[in-house]
Amino acid sequence: MTMSRLGPQPTEVLDRSTKLRFRWNGKRFDGFEGDTIASALAAAGEHVFSRSMKYHRPRGILTADYWDPNLMVQVGDDPNVRAGNRLLEAGMDVRAQNVWPSLHRDIKAANSLFGRFLTAGFYYKTFMRPAWLWPTYERVLATFAPGGKIDLDTPHRYHDKRYTHPDVVVAGAGPAGIEAALAAAAAGARVLLVEHEHAVGGHLRYSSSDSDQAVLAELRAALDASEVEVLTNSTVTGRYEDNWLGIVQRNHPIAVERLIKARAKVLVAAPGLIERPYVFSGNDRPGVITSGAARRLINLWGVKPGERAVVFTANSEGDAAAADLDRVGVEIAAIIDGREGKRVSSAQGSSRALGAVVAGGNRIEADLLVVAAGWTAPTSLLNMAGDRPVHDPATARFFPSDPPGNVLATGGLAGDGTLDELRAHGAATGRLAAQRAAAVAHRLQAMTARARPVDGDEPAWAPDERTPLGRDPHPELYRSDTHGMVDFSEDVGSKDLVAAAHEGYDSVELAKRYTTSTMGPSQGKLETVNTVAAIAEARGETIAQVGTTVWRPPYAPLTLGALAGRVFEPVRVSSIHPWHEANGVSTIIAGQWMRPDHYGDPAAEVRNVRTNVGLIDVTPLGKLDLRGPDIPKLLNLLYTNKWSKLPVGKVRYGMMCAEDGVVLDDGVTGRLGEDHYLMTTTSSGAGGVWEWVENWLQTERPDWKVHVTPVTTAYVSINVAGPKARELVGRVTEGVDLSPDAFPYMEVRLATVAGVDGCFMWRIGFTGELSFEIHAPSGHGLHVWEALMDAGQDLGVGPFGLEGQRIMRLEKGHFIVGQDTDGLTLGPSTGLSPLIKLDKDDFAGMPELAWAADRSLPMIVAIQPDDPNVVPDEASQIVRGNTNEILGRITSARMSPTLGRSICLGQVEPELAAGGTKVTVLLTSGERVSATVMDHHAHFDPAGERLRG
Amino acid sequence: MTGIGRRLRRRPPKYSAAALAWRGMRGDYWPRVWRDTELKSSYDAVVVGGGVHGLATAYYLARNHGITNVAVVDKAYLGSGASGRNTAIVRANYLTPEGVAFYDRSLQLYNSMALDLNINVMMSERGHLTLAHNDSSLRTMNWRAEVNKLQGVNSSVIGPDEIKKIAPALDTSSHPRYPILGALYHPPGGIVRHDAVVWGYARAADYMGVEMHQKTEVLDILCEGGNGPDGKGPGGKVVGVRTNRGDISTPVVVNCTAGWAGLISAMAGVRLPITTHPLQAAVTEPVKVFLPTVVVSGSLHVYISQTDRGELVFGAAVDPVATYSIRGSLEFTEELAGHVLELMPGISRMRLLRQWSGLCDMTPDYSPVMGFTPVDGFLVDVGWGTYGFKAAPVSGEQMAEAVATGRTPKLIAPFALSRFDSGELVGEKGAASVGH
Repeated sequence: MTMSRLGPQPTEVLDRSTKLRFRWNGKRFDGFEGDTIASALAAAGEHVFSRSMKYHRPRGILTADYWDPNLMVQVGDDPNVRAGNRLLEAGMDVRAQNVWPSLHRDIKAANSLFGRFLTAGFYYKTFMRPAWLWPTYERVLATFAPGGKIDLDTPHRYHDKRYTHPDVVVAGAGPAGIEAALAAAAAGARVLLVEHEHAVGGHLRYSSSDSDQAVLAELRAALDASEVEVLTNSTVTGRYEDNWLGIVQRNHPIAVERLIKARAKVLVAAPGLIERPYVFSGNDRPGVITSGAARRLINLWGVKPGERAVVFTANSEGDAAAADLDRVGVEIAAIIDGREGKRVSSAQGSSRALGAVVAGGNRIEADLLVVAAGWTAPTSLLNMAGDRPVHDPATARFFPSDPPGNVLATGGLAGDGTLDELRAHGAATGRLAAQRAAAVAHRLQAMTARARPVDGDEPAWAPDERTPLGRDPHPELYRSDTHGMVDFSEDVGSKDLVAAAHEGYDSVELAKRYTTSTMGPSQGKLETVNTVAAIAEARGETIAQVGTTVWRPPYAPLTLGALAGRVFEPVRVSSIHPWHEANGVSTIIAGQWMRPDHYGDPAAEVRNVRTNVGLIDVTPLGKLDLRGPDIPKLLNLLYTNKWSKLPVGKVRYGMMCAEDGVVLDDGVTGRLGEDHYLMTTTSSGAGGVWEWVENWLQTERPDWKVHVTPVTTAYVSINVAGPKARELVGRVTEGVDLSPDAFPYMEVRLATVAGVDGCFMWRIGFTGELSFEIHAPSGHGLHVWEALMDAGQDLGVGPFGLEGQRIMRLEKGHFIVGQDTDGLTLGPSTGLSPLIKLDKDDFAGMPELAWAADRSLPMIVAIQPDDPNVVPDEASQIVRGNTNEILGRITSARMSPTLGRSICLGQVEPELAAGGTKVTVLLTSGERVSATVMDHHAHFDPAGERLRG
Repeated sequence: MTGIGRRLRRRPPKYSAAALAWRGMRGDYWPRVWRDTELKSSYDAVVVGGGVHGLATAYYLARNHGITNVAVVDKAYLGSGASGRNTAIVRANYLTPEGVAFYDRSLQLYNSMALDLNINVMMSERGHLTLAHNDSSLRTMNWRAEVNKLQGVNSSVIGPDEIKKIAPALDTSSHPRYPILGALYHPPGGIVRHDAVVWGYARAADYMGVEMHQKTEVLDILCEGGNGPDGKGPGGKVVGVRTNRGDISTPVVVNCTAGWAGLISAMAGVRLPITTHPLQAAVTEPVKVFLPTVVVSGSLHVYISQTDRGELVFGAAVDPVATYSIRGSLEFTEELAGHVLELMPGISRMRLLRQWSGLCDMTPDYSPVMGFTPVDGFLVDVGWGTYGFKAAPVSGEQMAEAVATGRTPKLIAPFALSRFDSGELVGEKGAASVGH
C-alpha cells in the first residue's frame, strides 16, 4: 500500500498554506494545519503505526478516526494518544508504543510463530511449574503490557471543570443531531450540542456529494445563527442518574482536557453508527481499511489510500467509497458485493503490506482492501440509562429497546432513511426533547425550596409521536469463511473466541473475561458485535440469544487530570499562625491542619506551664454551635452520660460511642444560654462528629428542633494554662469575675478579652493545670494571643505546642480517642463506666454497651516501666513473659519532665488491669522490660487539686 | 487436609506447557472447563451463588469430605457478582490474632492454588503498602507491624526513602497536604487473577462430580417445621430449593451470595443484620508497567495496583448509601482521580477506561456471618463486606467442614449468626475498614 497526498479536495479540512513540522520515531515529517497525526503520516507514505499486543503484528490505519485501535501513539509525555483524532501540531514528538528495538524491527514479532500455542488464556494453563520460576515468568509477561510510557515527572498542568444546566444536551452533531439541536432551540430550550469529531456534520463532512455539502453548509449556517452552544472534539462520556452527564472537552484553549458536568433535562443520543470491521484471514494487515477510513482520508485530508483497490461493499457507504477511490485515481481492481452473497476470504501479502485479496476463490492483486461490512450501534449512553439494546438480524445491528422518557435516540441509532428523513426525525426529536424539558423544568422549579414560584400547571409529558425511521436491510456479515482478528487492541481472533466457547466460556461475559476481547482501549466499539457473533456461531445460537456485554462509562476514555480537575486541597492554619512562624515553631500535620508542635524545647514548655503560665493554640478543636429547645435530647442521644439538667453557665464532659459501642469521640459541651450550647469535639473528629450529628437529626430525629452550625474556624481557641493563668487572663478580661468562687472549674462565661467582644471562656484543661480556654472570633485571634503574650511578660508566659500538651495530658492520664482507643475499644474500656448511663431511655451504642457491661474487657491503664529511663515506643506489645502471647500494648509513652521518669498509657487484658500488676513490655527493638500497672490513670496530681484551684 | 475420599469422576486434562503445545500442534479444542448438565431433582447439598465462596465451598466439600452430589446454582454466570468485580488484592496483615490466623490460612491456600487446582491463578506476591499520611495512622501501622511480627506475618513499617525505592511513582516529598510519612509494608500481599480463581475452583469441583448450574435462579427455599409461614423460620429444616429450572430436593442449602444474602436468607425465614452497599472501582488504559506493588491509602480511601496487562486498577470505600443499584457515579471517578493524583502526581495523563460497581453486604461489626442458622440445613457464608475475595479459600474450606461434620469449625466460630443476639461482636473494624 502506498499512500500519498492528493491535490486539493473540495471538502478537505487542510490549510495547505500552513506547514507543520513534527517528529515520528525521531525522524522529521511535515504535515498541514488540519491534519491529524495519522493523516499527516499516511500522506507521507507511512503505513505501519503500531504493533499488535500479543503477536506484535504490524498494524496500519483501520478506521482513521478516534476509535482506530491501531493508531495509538505516544506524544511527548502523553501515552495512548489517538493519532486518528489528535490534530497535528508543530514540534510534536510522536513515537510508536510498545515496540523494541523499533517499530519496523520488533523482536517480539517472533511471537507470531507461536500463535497456535498462544491461544486466548494460554497463561492460565502454564507457567505453574516450577513454582519458584513464576515470579520470573510474571516479569516477562508484564513486558507484554501494551500502551505507552508514563513520565513520572509529568506536571498536573491546568485542569478546570465547568458546571452547566442545559435543557437539552444533544450527543452527536451529525445531520439528525444538528436538526434536533436546532429544533429544540427554536422551541425555546437551552441546548448544548456535543460533537466527538473536530467539526459538526457527521458523515456529511466526508461526503463528496454536492447535495450533501449543500445541506452541511445550510446546517452550519443555521447553527451559527441559532442560540445552540456547540462543543466540538468533545464527548459525552457518561450518563448517570437523572441525566447527570460527564462531557470531556479536548479542545479547550488552556486546559489539557476539561470535564464538563451537565444536568440535562433531556438527553438526545445521536452518536451515529460506527463501522464494523469484517473478520477474515489477514483482516488486520496494513492496507485493509474500512470504507469510512477511505472516505475520510480522501475527502478530509486529501490522502490517496492506495494505488489498486479491492472494495468489499455491502451498503451504500461502501459504494460511495468505491466512487471516491475511482474519482481520485485509485484503480479499482474488483468490487465484491456483499449484498450478492459474495465474500472476501483473505488478505495476503508481506507482513507489512497488502499484496493480494482472495475472494470467491480468485486472487486479486491489490495494495488496498476497503471493507464496508456493516455497523455497530453505539448504544452506550442508552445502556447507561438502563436500556437493553435488541439485536435485529434483518439490519445486522442492535437497536434501543425502551430507554427512559428523558433520553431520546435519533439518527443512525434510531434507524435508516434518506438524508431528509434523518433530518426530519432529528427535528421531531428536538421538538419532543424541548417539550419534555419544559415539563421537567416546571417540576424542578415547583419542587425546589426557595425557587422562584412558578405559574400554571406542569405541562403534560409530551407523547412520542415521531414517525419512526425505517430500517434498511443489511446482510449479516460478521465472519467470512476464514478466521481473522476480532479485537484488534487485544489481539483476540475469532478462533480464540470459538475455542473459548468450546471450552465452556460460552456466555459473552465469560468469553470476554477469558479471552479479554472488548476489554482493551476501544472497549467494544469495533469488536463487540463480532465477539458476540463468534460465540453465537460456536454455540449454534443467534446473536440475540447470546446477548451483549454491558457498556459502561466512560464512552471515551478521559484523563485522570480532567477528572481530578484543579486540586483543591487547602491546608488549614489558625489566624495566629503568623505569630507561630515568627517564633520558631515546628509544625505537625493533624488532619487538614498544620499545628504548632513545639517551639524548640517541648520539655521546657511543659516546665513553664507547670510553674508559670503557657498559651497553646488549639483552634482545630471541633466546635459546633447548637441552638434550639431539643438540644438536651440530642446530647442525651449522642453522649453516654446525662444532659437533661445542665444549667446555663456550666460545662460537662461527655463521651460518644458509635452504635457498636466503640468510642467515637469525646469533648466538653457548655450551655451558653437557655437554648444555646457549644459542643466541642476532638480536633480529628470535628468533621466526623458534625456528620454524625446531622445524620441523627436529618434521618432519625427530623422532628427535633435543633440547629447545628460548625464554628470550628469561626473562633480561635487559646488555652491559657498554669498556676499564673488566672492572673494573666484577669489582666486582659473585662466583665467577668475570675475568682475561684465566682468562676469555678467546669463553668463557662461570655467575656470581653483584650477589647474583643463576643469571646467566651471556660475553665477546663487537658494539661491538668489551672486553665482558661478562650474562644475568640477568628478575625481577632492574633490580637488576643498577642495581648495575652504582652500582658504576661512578667509572669513568664510562653507558648507551648501539641507535644507539650501531649506530655502534660499523659502526666494527667487523659486518654486521646484514636490513640489510646482504637476501632475495637468499647466505652467501658476507657475506665469511664460511671459516665455510661444504662438507665437512660436510649443513646447511640446503648444495646452494645449494656451487653459489654457484663463482660470483662481490655482496659486502658497507666503504666510505668520499672526502669524510669526506658520510654517504650508507642505500639510496643505487652506479652505474657517470654512468650509471644499478646496481652496488650503501650498506646502512649513519653519521658515526663515533671516526674523525671517515663510514663505510659496502655491497653491490657482485664487480668492485668489491677493496680500494681507487673507486666512485660516487648520493645520494638525486641528487648523485654518489666513495668507496673498504676492505680490511677494520672501519673501526676491524681486528686486534681491544681486544675480546680 | 488431604484428599480424603476423593472420588475422581474422570481424569482432568492437565494444563501444562507440554499440553498446550500438543493441542496447539493438533489444533484441538480443550474439553469443557465444567460440564453443562441437566439439573437433577435431588442433591446432597445445594450451594447458592457461583462466586469464589460458593465454588470454594463446593470444591472443599468434594475434595476434603467426599461429598460430591452437590449443585452450585447461580442466577447469572459463574463469577458474575463480586468475585469478578473486586480488585483482587490479598494480604494477611490484620490487627487481631483471629484476623491474622484466618487470612494467613487464606493466603497460604492462594499461594498453593496454582498447583492444587492446576490452573495458573497468577498469584502475584508483589508486596502491599499501606500508607500513613499522619502521625496517628503511622501509630496504627506500628501497632499492626508489632502484632504481625509476633504472629509470624511478614510486615514492617518503612520510611519515605524506602517507599520511594519500592514505588517510585509515589510522591514522597514533603507534600503539604497528605505527606507520606511511612507505610506498613507487607511483602506477601499482592494480587490474584480473580476470574482464574473462579474457573479453577469450578473446574476442579466439576471433575470431582460437583455440578455448576448457571442461569439458574433461586426463587424460593422450601422448608418444613419452622414457626414461620410455609414451615420456614427458626425450628424448621430445609427440604429443597425452587429454581427457575425446577424444584430440587436437598437437605442442605449453603447461602454463599453477596449482594443478595439477605434476600436469599429471607427465603428460609432467616433474618440477617445486613445492609447492602455498592462499592465502585475503575481501571485505566494500559501503560508500560511502572507500579510494582499494591498501594493503599486509608486516609484517601483508595487502593491501587497495576495489572500485568498494564492497567491501573482502582478501588475505594463503599458508597455511603445502601442500595442494590450497581450503576457507577461520575463523582466517584472525580474523587478517585483527585486522590490518585495526590499520591502519584505524574500520571495525570493516564486515561480512565472503565468504571463499574459491585455489591457489598455490610454487617454491624464489619465481620462476616458464617455457619449454621436457626433453620436446620440452612447455612450461610455471607456479610463479607469489602473483603470477601481475600477470604474465599479459607471460607470454603471451613464451610465445607461445617456441612460435612455438622459442627462449627473453631476458625469460624466467632462469626456465628448468634453473636448478634448475644452482643459478642467481632472486631476487625480497625483493620477491615482500612479496606484493601
